[in-house]
Amino acid sequence: MAETLAVPVRSGRADRRRRLWRRFRRRPMPMAGLVLVAAFLLLALLGPLVTGDPSAQDYAATLAPPSGAHPLGTDDLGRDALARIAHGAQVSLQAGVLSTLLAMVIGIPIGLVAGFYRRWLDPVVMRLVDVTLAFPFLVFAVGLAAIIGPSLKGVVLALGFSQLPAIIRITRGEVLAIREMDYVAAAIADGAGDRHILFRYVLPNCANPLIVQATVAIPAAIIGESTLSFLGLGVQPPTPSWGVMLTTAQQYLDVAPWLAIWPGVMIALATLGFNLLGDGLRDVLDPRSGR
Amino acid sequence: MRPSPRIVAALAVLPLALTACGGGGSSGPSAAPSVADASADNRAVKGGGTLNVALNADPDALDPSTSTTLVGREVFANMCEKLYDIDAASELVPQLATALPEVSEDGKEVTIKLRDGVKFNDGTPFDAEAVKKSLDRHRTWEKSSRQADLEAISKVEAVDATTVKLTLKRAFTPLTAQLADRAGMIMSPKALDSAGDNFGTAPVCVGPFTFASRTSGSQIVLDKAPDYYDAAKVKLDKLVYKIIVDPNVRAANLKSGDVQVADQLATTTVAGVQAGPNLKVVAGGGLGYYGLQINIGNATGSTDKPGPVDSALAKSPELREAFELALDREQINKTVYNGLHEVDCFPVPVDSPYRTPDLQCPKRDVAKAKQLVQASGVPTPIPVKLTSPNDATNQRLAQVIQQMTKEAGFAVTVETAEFVSTLEQGKSGDFQAMLSGWSGRVDPDGNLTNLVTGQGSNNYAGMADPGIDDPIKQAAAAQDTAERAELYSKAMKRAAELRGVVYLYHNKYYLGMSKNVAGVQYFKDGLPRYATAGFVA
Amino acid sequence: MVWFILRRCGSAVIVLFVASVLIFLGVRALPGDPAVVMAGEEASPAVVEAIRHEFGLDKPLPAQYVDYVTQTLSGNLGRSTQDQIPVADILAERLPVTLELSALAMLVAIVVGVGSGIVASVRRGKFADYVATGFGLAGLSVPHFWLGLLGILLFAVTLRWLPASGYVPFTEDPAANLQRMLLPALVLGTGFAAILMRQTRSAMLGALSADYVRTARSKGLAESKVVGAHALRNSLTTVVTVLGLQLGALISGAVVTEQIFVIPGFGKLTVDAVLTRNYPVIQAVVLVTVIGYVVVNLLVDIAYAYLNPRIRLSGGGHG
Repeated sequence: MAETLAVPVRSGRADRRRRLWRRFRRRPMPMAGLVLVAAFLLLALLGPLVTGDPSAQDYAATLAPPSGAHPLGTDDLGRDALARIAHGAQVSLQAGVLSTLLAMVIGIPIGLVAGFYRRWLDPVVMRLVDVTLAFPFLVFAVGLAAIIGPSLKGVVLALGFSQLPAIIRITRGEVLAIREMDYVAAAIADGAGDRHILFRYVLPNCANPLIVQATVAIPAAIIGESTLSFLGLGVQPPTPSWGVMLTTAQQYLDVAPWLAIWPGVMIALATLGFNLLGDGLRDVLDPRSGR
Repeated sequence: MRPSPRIVAALAVLPLALTACGGGGSSGPSAAPSVADASADNRAVKGGGTLNVALNADPDALDPSTSTTLVGREVFANMCEKLYDIDAASELVPQLATALPEVSEDGKEVTIKLRDGVKFNDGTPFDAEAVKKSLDRHRTWEKSSRQADLEAISKVEAVDATTVKLTLKRAFTPLTAQLADRAGMIMSPKALDSAGDNFGTAPVCVGPFTFASRTSGSQIVLDKAPDYYDAAKVKLDKLVYKIIVDPNVRAANLKSGDVQVADQLATTTVAGVQAGPNLKVVAGGGLGYYGLQINIGNATGSTDKPGPVDSALAKSPELREAFELALDREQINKTVYNGLHEVDCFPVPVDSPYRTPDLQCPKRDVAKAKQLVQASGVPTPIPVKLTSPNDATNQRLAQVIQQMTKEAGFAVTVETAEFVSTLEQGKSGDFQAMLSGWSGRVDPDGNLTNLVTGQGSNNYAGMADPGIDDPIKQAAAAQDTAERAELYSKAMKRAAELRGVVYLYHNKYYLGMSKNVAGVQYFKDGLPRYATAGFVA
Repeated sequence: MVWFILRRCGSAVIVLFVASVLIFLGVRALPGDPAVVMAGEEASPAVVEAIRHEFGLDKPLPAQYVDYVTQTLSGNLGRSTQDQIPVADILAERLPVTLELSALAMLVAIVVGVGSGIVASVRRGKFADYVATGFGLAGLSVPHFWLGLLGILLFAVTLRWLPASGYVPFTEDPAANLQRMLLPALVLGTGFAAILMRQTRSAMLGALSADYVRTARSKGLAESKVVGAHALRNSLTTVVTVLGLQLGALISGAVVTEQIFVIPGFGKLTVDAVLTRNYPVIQAVVLVTVIGYVVVNLLVDIAYAYLNPRIRLSGGGHG
């Protein structure tokens, strides 16, 4: 991509964005990812408006196979599986987006400050990050969820904190790299204030790797939510969550196997969408990254 | 990375294919399966063999003094005999004693005659001194959970080698029943001397089987006891308890033949096991109950003096009545348990001789419930927090309660927690309403005193009412069954008005077995006894 | 190099120290009074008090921490509150189970992942590449526990080829043991196979376009030799590093897999201990996990630095 050098610095962000989009659009895999993510967002935002009450019980029609009235069948309390899938998408979306946002809101400032000021703060932060990384993700999340108590809030906090180290690491790494760049070094030499440098030069340059990280973090959080819910540490009944639906399905694998299919398919598709999108964005936005 | 739409398409179709191959030929839930009651299975069995038994939970330490779990009692039932036992009719019968105790006129002196020539499973002779040592440990060791069971005893004496005399502080008729449970288990004095507080890691008692080994969280192995006094009737060589918590996995292991017996089948799995060509299901249990605790006075702990509790249900008996009237017990039994439990609204079994026939349950009456809610003047929907253990069955129950009471104007929010957390919340009063049960005891006192009387250790609701406490206390001292029945019924009626506990049903236990296993004794206490069990000849 | 190793060891010790404090505090932050839990359902307040005293739970937190560290360092991990069995014995029983499961899963991951990664890179842009890449993405996207459910549904419920779950010790019956470990190992291995496939593919693509490979080709070496002797060997360092870094994910995966298939391993022990508030066991299990993780990463760092001298100078962490 030799063109990057030829383009004048002030060619306008819109231009650059259009160019990136053109490059992105040509690739079918990332586009498929975009479509999947868009479908997931639609399902989460509009699905609940279209489908019925996900908690309405019908004792006369428990564990009913898929039919016209219940396209995906019903669960052990006669609740419509389709409605629960749609509402479950909302829970997944919240868990994925909120926990990632939480991790970014806390992690980015820490990473910025640690990377920019170094001295004593940096080693302390990085050792803490090492410590957190020494706990396997799920063990850490299970512990946190148990401490906070089972609820969507607990899940979001547990997953958010579990993602913190990665965000801090990435931000700090970018800051370290950017600090050394000529134009930033020049700005520092010119006596530009710390705040000016952080917000004018450093933060915008962190954006790309962080966007890419979000496409990794969101699907991880979606799987994390469903796993915690599957283990009984997630959302509270009767809130439908794909993980909870699978817990229920596990009890009825021999009499109602259809219950085990769709929640899993949805998790897989949503995750796949973000992964494809992430791969595409990484190629376009963050070509340096080896992955 | 260049993509192929074909792959995406292939991946998308995969789940459909799976649905198609998994969905055929299954039927929805059917009507409640009928299950034979106690196992009157007299087929001849041959000697030898290993019986693999699936247990539904990991027992706590196998120390009769500290044990508090039902699964622990299941294991004890085959390795730790007691002074007394119950039979198929829930009658008390002597086990290590030779006859029911002789009780003095005033009820304060109890004499127990012991079997002669009995040996513990380590060869130590069983005698009155050993009984005294065990009973004293049960009732005085600071960590013993039996202290309350034997609280009435003030002194234990070994009169001679086969006679023990108990001196009581007051007449206490339920004592014999206590001695038919863990408080009546006698431990080898030699093992107690050597193991001390860690007796539970290698327990030695008198029993048809003797403790061989335990793998934490996985299995417990018992061997046939050579020193057992009735060794001739014991057929099996070995008893292996495998801990399989997940009910579906328990049933699957039974079907695959990896275990020959599975305890406490989930009601969702009973029909499936029954349908197995080589399997059968027998029913036991029914002494215990399950229900809903409503915190009405447990402000600082169930053993503290009651205090004010800030919740709509706590403040208004009428709202509690409305809450109960909104519940349809029959429907709950059908929807949550496939109709396999015994619906009731009192803590003592339906066929118990200790309840009078005038104890009746209210039917669901949403109209009246709505009326009561309206009359209370509390704005609807009335918020109620319901704490539930986080297993699938309890969550199902909680959600059904949520749905049923919604119609009457309540807004129940379910808060799930690990079972052990709910235990603590119950004791400390940190709940508004909670799903909780009791495994049940032969004597009605065991289902009442600690559970509904003021400052009882399991009185989670924090009830303290002389109309409940006094008759129960009197009944414990009375020796005539009819008289006790009157008193207990009086107390239960008062408790039903107060509604600290809304009883829903008596829990039956379903034992799944391979058809080639015979001789298992399964009574109301839900503890399978394998002393005479074996494989069909 | 010595200086590098010392510095890495030093930071590992610091990490372990802070982790031990975190574990200690975390366990105590769990809702639920351990003494009440240990005493059980029927216990009176006096019994609870006696237990609290016996386990030193009535002492102030710093004193409890000192107790915990001195006991742990002297090798005394305490006894399980569930059944009084010494925690060290429990670990000795459970750890091999998970090690077996992990080894089998890793075997699956390496055979499938590295194999398909090599094929994908060599056949870049061809059909085989798409299949492998598609598998890589799908493997990353499907949650373990759902894959486990599908596996049970397909192989145990529908086809009845394999038992649904359960565990037989290898020493008791090796054939039955492997039969039961097959499905869990496949489930656990799939995710890692996907990760390994992606890493192998990109490392191989990098290596195949590198100068030394071009040189080798221009010298007329056979393509198989070019791929095997040059590109693959140089890509393997990346693969080894990834394996080390995935240890944490492997443990997370084992937690879920053991839960679904009811395998009495380390992961199930962790979840069970958290759910039953078995404090001595939680502490020991998490500590052992963290030690294992830190030590493996230390070794990976050192190995990596040994292979790539530049790392030593830049002092970059493992990311």
